[in-house]
Amino acid sequence: MSTLAERQDAFLASILDEGAPLPSGWGNSQAAGMAVYRGNYRGALMSALAETYERTALLLGPKEFAQGCINHAIAHPPSGWTIDEAGEGFDETCTKLFPDRLEVAELAWVEWSMLELATAPDVQPFKPQDFAAASAQFGDEDWGTLRLQFQPRARARLVNHDLETLWQTIGNGDAVSDTKLEAPATCLVSRDGERPTFTLLDADHADAFAAMQDGANYGDLIAVLLGQNDDPAPEDIQAAAMRAGAMLGAWLNEGLVTAINP
Amino acid sequence: MSPQTNPIAPFSGFGLGLRRTHYEDFLRGDVPVDFVEVISENYMIEGGRQMRILEEVRERLPVIIHGVSMSIGSARGLDQDYLAKLKILEQRIEPLWVSDHLCWTRNSAHNSHDLLPLPLTQEALQAVCDNIDHAQNVLGRAMVFENPSSYLTFPEDEMSEWEFLTEMTKATACYLLLDVNNIYVSSKNHGFSAEDYLAGLPLDRVRQIHLAGHDPATPERDIIIDTHDRAIVEPVWELYAKALEMLPHLPAVMIERDDHIPPLPELLTELDRARAISESVLEPA
Repeated sequence: MSTLAERQDAFLASILDEGAPLPSGWGNSQAAGMAVYRGNYRGALMSALAETYERTALLLGPKEFAQGCINHAIAHPPSGWTIDEAGEGFDETCTKLFPDRLEVAELAWVEWSMLELATAPDVQPFKPQDFAAASAQFGDEDWGTLRLQFQPRARARLVNHDLETLWQTIGNGDAVSDTKLEAPATCLVSRDGERPTFTLLDADHADAFAAMQDGANYGDLIAVLLGQNDDPAPEDIQAAAMRAGAMLGAWLNEGLVTAINP
Repeated sequence: MSPQTNPIAPFSGFGLGLRRTHYEDFLRGDVPVDFVEVISENYMIEGGRQMRILEEVRERLPVIIHGVSMSIGSARGLDQDYLAKLKILEQRIEPLWVSDHLCWTRNSAHNSHDLLPLPLTQEALQAVCDNIDHAQNVLGRAMVFENPSSYLTFPEDEMSEWEFLTEMTKATACYLLLDVNNIYVSSKNHGFSAEDYLAGLPLDRVRQIHLAGHDPATPERDIIIDTHDRAIVEPVWELYAKALEMLPHLPAVMIERDDHIPPLPELLTELDRARAISESVLEPA
């Protein structure tokens, strides 16, 4: 390893860890300069996280948000070329730091997902009427093997809080009250044209969406909806098929489907 | 061995950074500028609103793409993923030129997201030149590099920054982005003459000038910090005028504001002043 590489490692180590010794041969003037670089590093990360997690910061308040940022930066110093990546995994940091306020982590997950969607490739939705025309002549086998392509970077997960209300309340600057849902829901983050957005759907959408995103076909989807039922009655299969149809309709209406049988 | 690259023709004009706050102004198409500069990394993306806006602005104005993360001084070479994405942007936008800074930002494990100083040594010069050759080869065009602000110098320094830049341009055929504020900031922080700095540069290689504001030294901190978050100070305007007197031609001149970004008219007033100074220097009554 070259001397320059070693010196750069030592320099960066001093920025990341204020307790790290300064590189050999350095005096007071270098120490004063290093203090500026340390301040720049921390300031840039705080700014990046504050920009990505605007509503999460408002929900937490400045002191707790700063605590979250510092913990996150120490545990996950950035490695990528874009500073936006510094915010990756902040929802997990919030889960660990604020275990009694899990709505914080859920909101952070939404904001991170929306950031990623904002720069995703531009695609046109497959319109419901086009799907109706394409599937008009489908037989049972066509339906069973149907695969869907979704918007790039669209994602879904189970949540336990009414994030739609939380989002609005924070945006309006109103006081946040208890937003715990009676039952978990699926939070689906997608893009409406150029605008990232999210919606809450029934809980069973999460696994179904993930399965289809991973390449499952419509027949597999019905199996996913039947869950652990190894010996389903005909009426169970019928109900699962109806449910799959309702989901497909919802995904088409949300503009999530961009192609069929890609 | 430096790869063959086409020369960058001089472009004279006055421009601003395209910042999100001013998207709507630029989309209206009546902002009196000759070019815009964008931060490369903000547009090394696949799609979405900001890319669409850049492409719309590009239909009306020349664009310069200016990076902060190439890390041209990294001892371990350049990030191939970064270069590939920069190449895609370069092909998509067809900019006047692609620029970055004489600095390093990362090692193999972490990224500081700051413009870190290089020791001014032969070893660092060789690393920088090797990396510039690589980048220019990938991009298929000559690049432009900006002199940085710095807050420390190294005991092992073997040359001045202007000597380093001169050797760098000779070895790689790259060009220079002269940040006048950075020269001022570093000259105060390290006690050299800004005029000596200018006089020591190969000024025929300058293709662009940046003008910006900074955070002055305080009783507690005897260091000026390059912040791009406020108005340009008088000594920097004076140094800008001196630079114009010395340059062989008027380059692309830009007001650079990255934080506390004011309404557009405030920046246009600063740009008007940059124009007026150039007129008084280059076309004296």
